[in-house]
Amino acid sequence: MGKDANSGNAGKKSKKNPVGKFFSGLGNDLKELGLTFTEGDWKTKVSYLIMGFGPLMRKQFVRGIAYLALEAVFIFYMASFGVHYLKDLGTLGTIARVLNDNGTYSYNDNSFLILLYSILTIIIICAFIFAWRMNIRENRNEEKLLAAGKALSSPKQDLYSLLDSHFDKTLLALPVLGIFLFTVLPIIFMICIAFTNYDQKHQPPTNLFSWVGLENFQNLFSFGEQGIGSTFFTVLSWTLIWAFFATFLTYFAGMGVAIMINKKGIKFKKLWRTILVMTIAVPQFVSLLYVYKMFANDGLINTYLMRWGWIESRIPFWSDPLLSKIVIIVVNLWIGIPYTMLITTGLLMNIPEDLYESARIDGASGFQMFRSITLPYMLFVTGPFLLTQFTGNLNNFNVIYLLTQGGPYSMELSNKAGYTDLLVTWLYKMTVNDTNYRMAAVLGIMIFAVTAVISLVVYGMLPSVKDEEGFQ
Amino acid sequence: MSKSMKTKRTIGNAITYIVLIVISFVWLFPFVCLFLQSLRSYNEGGGGMVEYLLPKQFSLDSYAFLLSEESQFIRWYGNTLIIAAFVALFQTIVVLCVSYALSRMRFKGRTFLMKFWLILGMFPGFLTMICLYFLLKQFGLTQAGAIPGLILIAVASSGMGYYVIKGYFDTIPKALDEAARIDGASRARVFFTMIIPMSKPIIIYAALVAFMAPWCDYVFASYVAFGYSDSYNVAVAMQRWVWTNDYQGYFTRFCAGGMLIAVPVTILFICLQKYYVEGVTGGAVKG
Amino acid sequence: MKKKVLATVLATAMVAASLVGCGGSSNETGGDSTPAADDSAAATDDSSAADSSAADSSDAAADNGDAAADGGSEAVEYGSGTITIWVAENVVDFTNEKAAEFFAANPDMAGYTVTVEPVGEGDAAGNMITDVEGGADMYGFAQDQITRLVSAGALCPITGDNATFVSEQNDAGAASAAVVGDMTYAYPMTSDNGYFLYYDSSVVTDPTSLEKIVADCEAAGKNFYMEINSGWYQPAFFFATGCTLTYDTDNDGNFTACNIDYTSDAGLVALKEIIELASSKSFQNGSSISSGTNIGAIVDGTWDSEAAKEIFGDNYACAKLPSFEGSDGKTYQLSGFGGFKLLGIKPQEDAGKLAVCHALAQYLTGTDVQLARYQAAGWGPSNVTAQQDAAVQADEALSALAEQLANTIPQGNYPGDYWNLATALGDDIISGTLSTSSSDDDLKAALQNFQDTCISYAQ
Repeated sequence: MGKDANSGNAGKKSKKNPVGKFFSGLGNDLKELGLTFTEGDWKTKVSYLIMGFGPLMRKQFVRGIAYLALEAVFIFYMASFGVHYLKDLGTLGTIARVLNDNGTYSYNDNSFLILLYSILTIIIICAFIFAWRMNIRENRNEEKLLAAGKALSSPKQDLYSLLDSHFDKTLLALPVLGIFLFTVLPIIFMICIAFTNYDQKHQPPTNLFSWVGLENFQNLFSFGEQGIGSTFFTVLSWTLIWAFFATFLTYFAGMGVAIMINKKGIKFKKLWRTILVMTIAVPQFVSLLYVYKMFANDGLINTYLMRWGWIESRIPFWSDPLLSKIVIIVVNLWIGIPYTMLITTGLLMNIPEDLYESARIDGASGFQMFRSITLPYMLFVTGPFLLTQFTGNLNNFNVIYLLTQGGPYSMELSNKAGYTDLLVTWLYKMTVNDTNYRMAAVLGIMIFAVTAVISLVVYGMLPSVKDEEGFQ
Repeated sequence: MSKSMKTKRTIGNAITYIVLIVISFVWLFPFVCLFLQSLRSYNEGGGGMVEYLLPKQFSLDSYAFLLSEESQFIRWYGNTLIIAAFVALFQTIVVLCVSYALSRMRFKGRTFLMKFWLILGMFPGFLTMICLYFLLKQFGLTQAGAIPGLILIAVASSGMGYYVIKGYFDTIPKALDEAARIDGASRARVFFTMIIPMSKPIIIYAALVAFMAPWCDYVFASYVAFGYSDSYNVAVAMQRWVWTNDYQGYFTRFCAGGMLIAVPVTILFICLQKYYVEGVTGGAVKG
Repeated sequence: MKKKVLATVLATAMVAASLVGCGGSSNETGGDSTPAADDSAAATDDSSAADSSAADSSDAAADNGDAAADGGSEAVEYGSGTITIWVAENVVDFTNEKAAEFFAANPDMAGYTVTVEPVGEGDAAGNMITDVEGGADMYGFAQDQITRLVSAGALCPITGDNATFVSEQNDAGAASAAVVGDMTYAYPMTSDNGYFLYYDSSVVTDPTSLEKIVADCEAAGKNFYMEINSGWYQPAFFFATGCTLTYDTDNDGNFTACNIDYTSDAGLVALKEIIELASSKSFQNGSSISSGTNIGAIVDGTWDSEAAKEIFGDNYACAKLPSFEGSDGKTYQLSGFGGFKLLGIKPQEDAGKLAVCHALAQYLTGTDVQLARYQAAGWGPSNVTAQQDAAVQADEALSALAEQLANTIPQGNYPGDYWNLATALGDDIISGTLSTSSSDDDLKAALQNFQDTCISYAQ
């Protein structure tokens, strides 16, 4: 399910119709399969059933044994493990925990593991089909080479190619496997969870969960008394507002600071920079928690302002919905300005000085020069950076969670969402505090959708999107 | 004329200095507070919150507590250090491999892989927490095995963060590779003996960033290590001191712990600042 | 002899448990899926039939069933292993010590070793629910978590003699706190999970009146702390004016009905009083001594008594909660919850380990250990004998609590969502969405909303 959606999205970028492309590719592939079978010798034909048979008979022992072993491992895996889980995929288990008459419990079906291992098994089956296909192609290639009177490659050559022409396979094997196991598999799993009732009341190993179709999505978009639709849109709109301000205010303020530090005649440039950069080095869970306490109702800032008589009553920095949003954005400036300062410092130096010189001769003021030279150049160069910043801020967990944890809350909002909750902190709370995985999964998909739409739309509009080969 | 220009510039500079001093003050203020609080004696407010800045009675009580047998702080610190070191090492290796392959090699599925990873990156990381937890549990890498588990998780998916280093590799002229390969060097040889030595700044950047992240990892670490305090990292352990009511009077200890973490990391960071700036700037431009 | 009795009890009494516990939870999984449960339900008075049906259901069940059958007639082999216990940080060493004493006194169970981890009552429930299998074998938790834990299958039912132990040894409130539906699920550890007033006697002159306390704090520039955005502290006002809020549950921890009347005039008086309090300059929302600053008075529980003594020094004083004068001119005594801390046992797969867990839990919640725990950490006992101890009777904080408990209701079971909702109501007050200038209609609408949402949690 997830895989299809993903590859579909990826395919969109290519100009051709991805579905058509897929099917025509499939057709060609089937044609080649048939051709290989009819044209192939008996070794090749046996290889359709016993993988690696052809290479083995052609004395390609390393390859042959590898294919054979692959098939053996696959069959063993399926028989001992895969089928056992795959058969329950439809129901996700039927017998939950049983209480025995001596007071102990026996755990039986575990919906979680059934779903997880079923997905794994399906992917392994796909991978096996791919390997089988490679095995066929291997046979065809060997036959062609032999027919042309050429020698087949020796194991030594194979090995060397892994360090040379096929070095990419060596380099990417482990990283791709890691990403597959710890990113792809869990994401597919969680997408599936969005279509189940996996929540507090259906938690393995005690209870089972099962498929519920689109119920969770309906729940997200229901606006009645019980529905969380209005809360979802409140949180979504704050998420977007937050990401906008957090990105652009930080960007311009950082640029301003960079311009000030780089100004001619300003000394101790390195000192100013180092002071700012400290906020990057100090772990946020320390600095932000302290900042939270500082702004608290009974914290340092309120107490001193009261003591000095500057304010009559305490400023509700964290308990007023609007004010807390503003304070969060301000505190985020404190976190974010150093980054943008560093980035823009380097770039500002790259702007040719004679541009400014000629502008100065034309009598342009400092601000005019900024507006017509500095800003366009910076926006052009840092366009992609701003986009990644924006999508990063959509999911900026630390700043929100370490400061307000989403609060203040209100009866206007449901499902534990607060006024400063981003979608991602809301998702976190659903996962950790409520074990409401079904809605967390739906939210996760929504976050993905929002990020993807914004990225695609904005990326297409960026002036500086060049062919990546252009850099080389 | 030039004199008025000069005074104008002097005034402008003076204003800039004032602004910079104010900014420095704002930026340093929380750290100064943190430091002062960490030196407050238990006799004042019992180690809890107080509403004033300057301690009336300075003492090293909190530091003594953290470094004593009574607290597992040293163990937590060690855990975090181990995680950070291994993550920095392995993550850098993984990212270098991926970046080289994507920058220098043209293979089937390359653009698909890059696009696919880009899309994967749009899913929020927390979404998969529960699944990762149970995956790790299958390998026995939760609770008692949480430290290798956390390293594994951090390293496993790091290949997707190849952008900065690939961008850097892209700027190294391909002609250099070609020349070496004409001389008979394999891809692997080019990678190890040419590209890697030439990329020292960016490697340091990648390692530095990877090293700093685990110090702030609260979310996933608390999820994986729960109920087994020997496996906590500093963030998980110290967060409890301020967020749960079980720990009364731990605020100054929290501040002291924060200082003990912040100071070495900050020193390391400032020493390697040059490389960091280079990496961040490069990364930003290449997007 | 004793263990024989225990084993017999386990083997026979658990048949009843399987009827109640298993039959109920398996209903959710669909009729076709639970032959074992159906069989055992049919075999109400024939334990051998239940035995064989368990054997049918799975191999593991069959093994355990045999073991239990053997255990009924011969001595129990307890086996060996590790028992993990989660308790709050300040009693970790204490629990270790007492567990060692237990195994010294019961050498036949000494095959087990105990690991005690500092996991606070708040975290314990969350962690147990995230992963029951990875959680502790025994864990302390606050009473408000019990239904969540039961519905997540993280608590083992306590039946027969063990249940009698709970009801006979503890005060009535504590014993009922350990019950969900009509099944006992935990061993009470303390009866002190209530709140009262700590105050600085140099600031507060009259701790019996809320208005005076607030006025004193304002005059002295001190803070008055009460966590009004917590579902635990907030009802102090509502119950004071005579409102009720309770839930009925079934044996599986499902909420079946909600009894609430916050929309009454009494509810309005209570809400107005909270708003009034929140509008004071000295009011701070909070209930933790060490996160508070400049404290004049605080509504808090016994667990903070050490911190309170440290902060107030010679001026340390405590009292039951004050009364307040409502907007209708009447005087009301602040009420609230009387709650309990419980020790739960995770459902076990091994009969021997289960027996050891029960025995250890009874030891850790027995008279002597409760008394020792009071002496070591100040936790107020739930054990009736321990409560009569002279030292416990003389404890200042505990007697303030005892006095306050006379005005409270024993805390029943509340759905997790209730606590969020109460936080939301409290935050609406603190942020000024509901303020002293809100009209009665607005306040009534808020109460109506609150009440409707509360009712909606019980399906």
